[in-house]
Amino acid sequence: MKDDVVTKPAEDPAPAAAAPRPAPAPWMRSRWGNVDVYNLWPIAVIILVIVITSFRSNTYFSVVNFKNVLSQMSVYGIVTMGECILLISAGIDLSVGANMAFSSICTGLLFTQGGYPMWLCIAAGIGAAIGVGLINGILASLNRAHPFIITLGMQVFLYGLATQMTGSAPVNNMGWLYSAFGGYLPSDPPFFGLPTVAMPFIVVVICAYAFLRWSPVGRRAYAIGGNEEAAYLSGIPVRRTKIILYAIMGLLAGIAAMVLAGNIDEASFNLAQNYELIGIAMAVVGGTALFGGRGGALRSLQGVVLYAVVANAIVFLGFTSNYQQMALGIIIVIAVMVTRAQR
Amino acid sequence: MALLEVEDVSKHFPGVQALTDVSLTVEAGEVHALVGQNGAGKSTLVKCISGVYSPDSGQIVFDGEGIRTYAPKNAQDLGITVVYQRMQLLPWLSVAENILLGHMPTTASVIIDRREANRIARELLARFKLHIDPEIPVARLSPPERQEVAIAKALYRRAKLLILDEPTAALDASLIERLFDLIGELNADGVAVLYISHHLEEVFRLADRITVLRDGRVVTTQPAAELSQTEVVTLMAGRRIEVAVDVDKAKPEEELKQAAPLLEFQHVTAGALQDIDFSIHECEVVGITGVIGAGGNDIARVLFGLSKAEAGQVLFEGKPYASNGPGHAIDHGLFMVPEDPSSEGLVPVLSLANNITLVDLPAITRFGVLSLRREKKLAQKYVEQLSIATSSVDTQVRNLSGGNQSKVLLAKALQAQARVLVLQEPTQGVDVAAKADIHRIIRDLAAQGKAVLVISTDIRALLLFVDRIVALRVGRIVADMPAADTGYAEVLDLTVGSVGAEAS
Repeated sequence: MKDDVVTKPAEDPAPAAAAPRPAPAPWMRSRWGNVDVYNLWPIAVIILVIVITSFRSNTYFSVVNFKNVLSQMSVYGIVTMGECILLISAGIDLSVGANMAFSSICTGLLFTQGGYPMWLCIAAGIGAAIGVGLINGILASLNRAHPFIITLGMQVFLYGLATQMTGSAPVNNMGWLYSAFGGYLPSDPPFFGLPTVAMPFIVVVICAYAFLRWSPVGRRAYAIGGNEEAAYLSGIPVRRTKIILYAIMGLLAGIAAMVLAGNIDEASFNLAQNYELIGIAMAVVGGTALFGGRGGALRSLQGVVLYAVVANAIVFLGFTSNYQQMALGIIIVIAVMVTRAQR
Repeated sequence: MALLEVEDVSKHFPGVQALTDVSLTVEAGEVHALVGQNGAGKSTLVKCISGVYSPDSGQIVFDGEGIRTYAPKNAQDLGITVVYQRMQLLPWLSVAENILLGHMPTTASVIIDRREANRIARELLARFKLHIDPEIPVARLSPPERQEVAIAKALYRRAKLLILDEPTAALDASLIERLFDLIGELNADGVAVLYISHHLEEVFRLADRITVLRDGRVVTTQPAAELSQTEVVTLMAGRRIEVAVDVDKAKPEEELKQAAPLLEFQHVTAGALQDIDFSIHECEVVGITGVIGAGGNDIARVLFGLSKAEAGQVLFEGKPYASNGPGHAIDHGLFMVPEDPSSEGLVPVLSLANNITLVDLPAITRFGVLSLRREKKLAQKYVEQLSIATSSVDTQVRNLSGGNQSKVLLAKALQAQARVLVLQEPTQGVDVAAKADIHRIIRDLAAQGKAVLVISTDIRALLLFVDRIVALRVGRIVADMPAADTGYAEVLDLTVGSVGAEAS
């Protein structure tokens, strides 16, 4: 027996900290099941924009325009999914646009000058993009140097390399990639004449969602982004995970490059300038945290759709593309401020 | 007239009545202790006094003047300063610059007179017997020294009321003494201190009067001399508390000694550690204590592969063991619970369930796919087993109290299927009831055959539930003895040592 004062409830071992908070009134509830209602605000804005524009323009609310929007968002959407995964792990990749250019040029040159079969050229282009991702990942996990700077360096390097490879003249023949991604699917069900570029986009969104929700590596990404030290001390292979995530970004950059280059039948060094920034912005607008741990594929998808819908609506409201840029800039800033205010 | 008068203050947050008609007075030159369990309303009250929150009703009178504008700046101007655990100092400025920030002496009112600033700071530090060089950057100070600088900064601004929130949480015994001396000096100077702590021994050593909060109400305010520790604990908990030292040995002492140790340190030198020898058996709880820097965490670091032994070796199940990282250690059946749950142990934005399974994702993976249903079930099991207070296993751990966060860490240790657990400060900043829970859980773990190493500077707490206690001083083991026949004073004396004995 000791003289210390202590500590055990004689009866009722349940801890006192269990003070249950009374449930707020239903209309104040911020969560329905697992969904935080505030995170759905982009959907509300999307609907609002669609309704307003429909009233102002007769041609806006149509199947043709819907397909238009869908094809516009597809390549950005693929990039956004990759950036979303990286942002969740507190990573970032600024070399995506350059990587896409590099990857498309690899494919284009092998096809036009090497005369290899197209499938092999595509495999090589995507492989090159994955290679870039792997290098990014290895460098970003080597020490604490910030991936922002590492991938910025990679971006500058790749633009130089891409320009060197093509001599600044675009490759103007992407073989059957053009017939694959330059048009529309059959107009009967189940395809409804959707643009073909939407197919890889939809597949990528589904895969990204499944990856983040149900795969161990996806879970590790959340843990590393939420608290890298704790993840490491929990036995998570932090370096290996980061390398895998950057390689996935490389893979998606490669896919996006094939889709985009096929769509316009051209591979060039300025194929996808600023795509990484738009992708990051869309992910953040949708509610993925810029500094890790929070977010998801569907949230980021909201950002993609919002962005595409607004860009499209502005045209129908009779403004020039300059206004488009301005509006999108404003959306990014407001979105981030709204997201911060919620915390 | 009292320096601070809190009159019938109430504060309501959505879903919680945090404070109800709280009244409290603090006299100039007194130490007034504020105690209560986690969630009793201490921090809300402090935030009202320091102007972070404005009360819904009631008012606060300071120095004879009713506070009308509740803003931290206003409170500071009046002379109320809160010294938080994590201080708002500018790390790359010098100590003197931090203390004098915004009041730097100038020559010809343009150029900052650094020499004069250093002189003022040095004088101020000397007045309170603080041995800190005013010219070095704050980043080079230890956390306790930063706390002292923060106090000095408040004093320079003529603070009349200092609010200290758990000031000893990161301090070891000798530094606590220094802080207490400083508080004594302050009182002599007429500065009042509102002292918030979970450590009742400290409260009773320091406080002139004690106010007990429970569920947002003042239970009592009495002179410390008229209260006993047991009374205060009872008042805090609102129910009868009994002394709980039921250390039932899982195996008889003799049997333990004959069995081969599960883990053995042989002449290990690493970090601060010098030639360490000790061992731990299955079913045993060993406490390791010593002042900060004595080498306690180096033991954890070596076991978990965060640093390498420079000499000697570690035997695990009789075989040499050297870890090259946490993943490796976990695979071998070792798990370390780090000191600070929110910064090192847990991922605050992930759910309780996600945090527990993080350590063992294969357990919920089937054919490469995570089973969220299985994960929930697993987490639910731990919530019940460890009585973690949470509304759901989906709650983000940053929304859990300190005690419950510590329990989530223990759940991780269990899920890691560890045979050796290394716990660092498992009950730091945890309230009384949760602390007892955690001690009980640790005993249960030992009873299930695990070897538990608890590294802590809280000697009193250790003595309550460990089998053996190992005392470290400057990297060497100065005692390794059964806890049952050891007193607090004896261990403290061994770790702190008599004056002059530390220089070796």
